[in-house]
Amino acid sequence: MSIQKPGYKSLYLYLSLSMAPLFLAFTPLQPAYAEEIKNGKQVYEIGCAGCHASGVLDAPKFGNNADWLKREQQGFETLVKHALNGFNNMPAKGGNPAYKNEEIIATVAYMLSEAGFPNYADRTGVKAVTTASTPKPAEKPATVAPKSKPATATKSYKNTNQFNRLMAPSSEWNPPQSKDGIHDPENDGTEMLQKPRVAFEPLANSTSGNRVDWVKALHNGEINPRYDRVNPDAMPVVMDLNIVREVKGSMPNVVYPHKQHTEWLDCSNCHPAIFIPQKGANQISMASILLGQKCGVCHGKVAFPVSECRKCHSQAKTAKK
Amino acid sequence: MSIKILALSVLLPIIMFFSTLSQAEYGDVVINNYSEEAGMRPVIFPHWFHRIRFRCKVCHADLGFEFKAGGNDINMLKIIDGEYCGACHNGEIAWSVESCNLCHSAKPGTETQVHESTISKLLTNQKPAAASTTGGTKK
Repeated sequence: MSIQKPGYKSLYLYLSLSMAPLFLAFTPLQPAYAEEIKNGKQVYEIGCAGCHASGVLDAPKFGNNADWLKREQQGFETLVKHALNGFNNMPAKGGNPAYKNEEIIATVAYMLSEAGFPNYADRTGVKAVTTASTPKPAEKPATVAPKSKPATATKSYKNTNQFNRLMAPSSEWNPPQSKDGIHDPENDGTEMLQKPRVAFEPLANSTSGNRVDWVKALHNGEINPRYDRVNPDAMPVVMDLNIVREVKGSMPNVVYPHKQHTEWLDCSNCHPAIFIPQKGANQISMASILLGQKCGVCHGKVAFPVSECRKCHSQAKTAKK
Repeated sequence: MSIKILALSVLLPIIMFFSTLSQAEYGDVVINNYSEEAGMRPVIFPHWFHRIRFRCKVCHADLGFEFKAGGNDINMLKIIDGEYCGACHNGEIAWSVESCNLCHSAKPGTETQVHESTISKLLTNQKPAAASTTGGTKK
């Protein structure tokens, strides 16, 4: 899949093709998108198979009766508790807090029933898919006290139409490393690392990325990053030159400020490898940026992401009104 | 009509992206080129921590780090010899290589990636495609 030479048709085709898998691609991250409550099989395939299909990290292997037997003997409630709150290498809710408790319960039942314990088959939530109501194992979760989300199965059902249900609340931004999903909480170094929230507390806020406006933080003197590895007094060579790029469609034109970029970067970081320093020589599209090229080499990875449209598309078009 | 579709195509991922449940810090880079083969946890490089202390230029121009997760052939020998991370992590500017677990801190099995990057969000479960087109997810 590579971007061929434009022509609207091919661009159009390209975008439709490339965007289609996005829907699929996003589902695993955001099961909350789905209207209905997922059944155990669906959750397993999206959220659990990664480890449980192969049995890595001591995960009980899917369908392997021997692996599941000793777990089953601990009781269904214990298994559900471990699945909801995490246990050893098993992250809470398989690492995805968006799953509802009842979905996790159904998934545990599904995995048990597939591992030779057919008596759990009626709790796998298969029937609940279309109606999203009457969660069968409702009597079970009452005994479980999940740490992460205090909502019981019935409560989360009530919250289906809660405000901003797809957005992480600010209390979940910038979690400590041990809870961020990629650091290993078992690692003794993890706890020694500076916590992001501590570091960001005095810095200017933003709505995306780290929730820090790095340019503003630098401008306000809230941070004073070195420009040289050893010399704390070295100052950047700042070039104050705006490049205006007229864009197609209804979006405002892009104003590219050299100033903010040269405060952080050296000319050689961008020129000539990423941008040919010549007017009109650079084809830039949102598609290529989204794919990590051009501006997307940094924006969308470490500099503010493309959701901040107006930070770049900042100059109103005057020609047509 | 095509403009509408174009706009939609662009807006769509943006909407999704806002709603994604973020966990680790934006810009956290996981490097697992050699770590796990060598029996160590993968490395997590926190961009946020470093950009508070250094401008991009120091590492990306002076020290020669490419803008690509996993795209730098870093190994412990080079670090000990003062290349890459070792330019600062030498016990003088920053703590030295004996603090293994401060860098080698990722969950076992974590792949090389720029965490929270747009591209990784867009192409989750598209690993083969991602590897060939993005430059963001080299393994």
